[in-house]
Amino acid sequence: MTAPLTLRAVTYHYPASTTPALRDVSLEVRRGEVLAVIGNVGAGASTLLLVAGDLAPRVTGGELSGTVERSGRAALLLPTPWTQISGMAFTVFDEVAFGPANLGWPRERIATSVERALTRVDVTHLRDRDPTTLSGGELQRVILAGILAMDPDVLLLDEPTAELDPLAARRTWDLIRALARDGMAVVVATSDLDALPDAADRVAWLEQGALRALGATREVLVDAALAAESAPGSTSIAAVWRSARLPEPPPLTVSQAVERLR
Amino acid sequence: MRRLHPFTLLTLAVVLPALAWILPAPWGGAGTLITAMALLLTPGASPGFGAARTAVITAAPFWFFLYLLHGVGGMVSTGLRLSTMIASFVWLVAILPPARLVEAMVAAGWPVSAAFLFSATLQAVPALRERAQRLVDAQRCRGLATRGGPLVRLRALRALALPLVLSALHDVDERTLALETRGLVAGARRTALAPPADHRGEQALRWLLVLSCAVLLVWRVA
Repeated sequence: MTAPLTLRAVTYHYPASTTPALRDVSLEVRRGEVLAVIGNVGAGASTLLLVAGDLAPRVTGGELSGTVERSGRAALLLPTPWTQISGMAFTVFDEVAFGPANLGWPRERIATSVERALTRVDVTHLRDRDPTTLSGGELQRVILAGILAMDPDVLLLDEPTAELDPLAARRTWDLIRALARDGMAVVVATSDLDALPDAADRVAWLEQGALRALGATREVLVDAALAAESAPGSTSIAAVWRSARLPEPPPLTVSQAVERLR
Repeated sequence: MRRLHPFTLLTLAVVLPALAWILPAPWGGAGTLITAMALLLTPGASPGFGAARTAVITAAPFWFFLYLLHGVGGMVSTGLRLSTMIASFVWLVAILPPARLVEAMVAAGWPVSAAFLFSATLQAVPALRERAQRLVDAQRCRGLATRGGPLVRLRALRALALPLVLSALHDVDERTLALETRGLVAGARRTALAPPADHRGEQALRWLLVLSCAVLLVWRVA
């Protein structure tokens, strides 16, 4: 089966920049999997999503070498909800319908798709509210519903839980898992490493635009190099485990730690 | 009145001020102003007394300055015309939800970019106001005095305007990406979600109003 997203030796420079934001990155995202992209600020995780979503260099400008292959529609959720309001919707329903309407779908298909997305993201109670009056967390979920309503094959999420409270963040991770189960390919750039053992199938660790590690979630997150001072770190449990100088490799979650300590 | 097609409401709001300037003063202006105020005050069909009060308060300073500049005659003739413009605009803003107008524009086949420009501008106003308030609060926390005489306020304005403009510009990049990823691209054939009904009678009325303006204009020029 063809992977919905494949990057081969991709190097990308932003306009007027001599330093590449991505260097020789090759990876493949399969249907039904969640790939987490981690790295320090400026490592290139957000840029990777822009390239994957066909926004860089098409919209941002700059130069790209290598090849990016996509099959199907890719949609990107950015970290700041306020900049993602359509500006053409005066209710949440219309905000979620914004993308499908731009795709020229028939009204019946739009209505079905919007209802399904509102239910899936658990924002049906907001459907008649003015989007400009929502809180950051509510708005982020509404924008996510708007992305899902477009029925993408590849879902690209940039810090999707940044504006959410812990409960809403946990629900979002559960939703991401469920979307992958339904066959969507999900790429998520995140600094919420604690969520990854349960949410991600694989992890790509970017360092200064280059792929430092790519592998199964556990394999990458227990890598001692990830815990170095200049690296993004691992999960909180792994950090505590290592601080206590307990035997390697560290557990990544509370349940794994409990299991090990028994 | 609220059920009329947005283009009909828009035509009325444009034709009334046009007639105010085309028809001879002061009776033309008086007639159009009475019509505009009647639209504002008609029970069950108008936005109500609040909008009429807004129109009067907005127009009052113009009458004052017109009196200072042109005396009673100039004040009445020009004041009636300006007041018609103000009353018509206030009526339109109060009676026509922007969402309906946007839907009408999309349904009529206007470019998505034109509809976006219109509605995004309307939505930008409350967003910018909210951001300005956040900036005021933040600057106050850092000791900036925002209340007092004109000089104090002017200094505060400078400290607020720059971050407001810079942050708005910064958002443009991200907003472009967000709109692109949600399919708002040039040439897109957008589906109107709830296109307002446009009856033949209303279409004829709109043409009649526009033609009347054109005929009266020719009559006045000739």
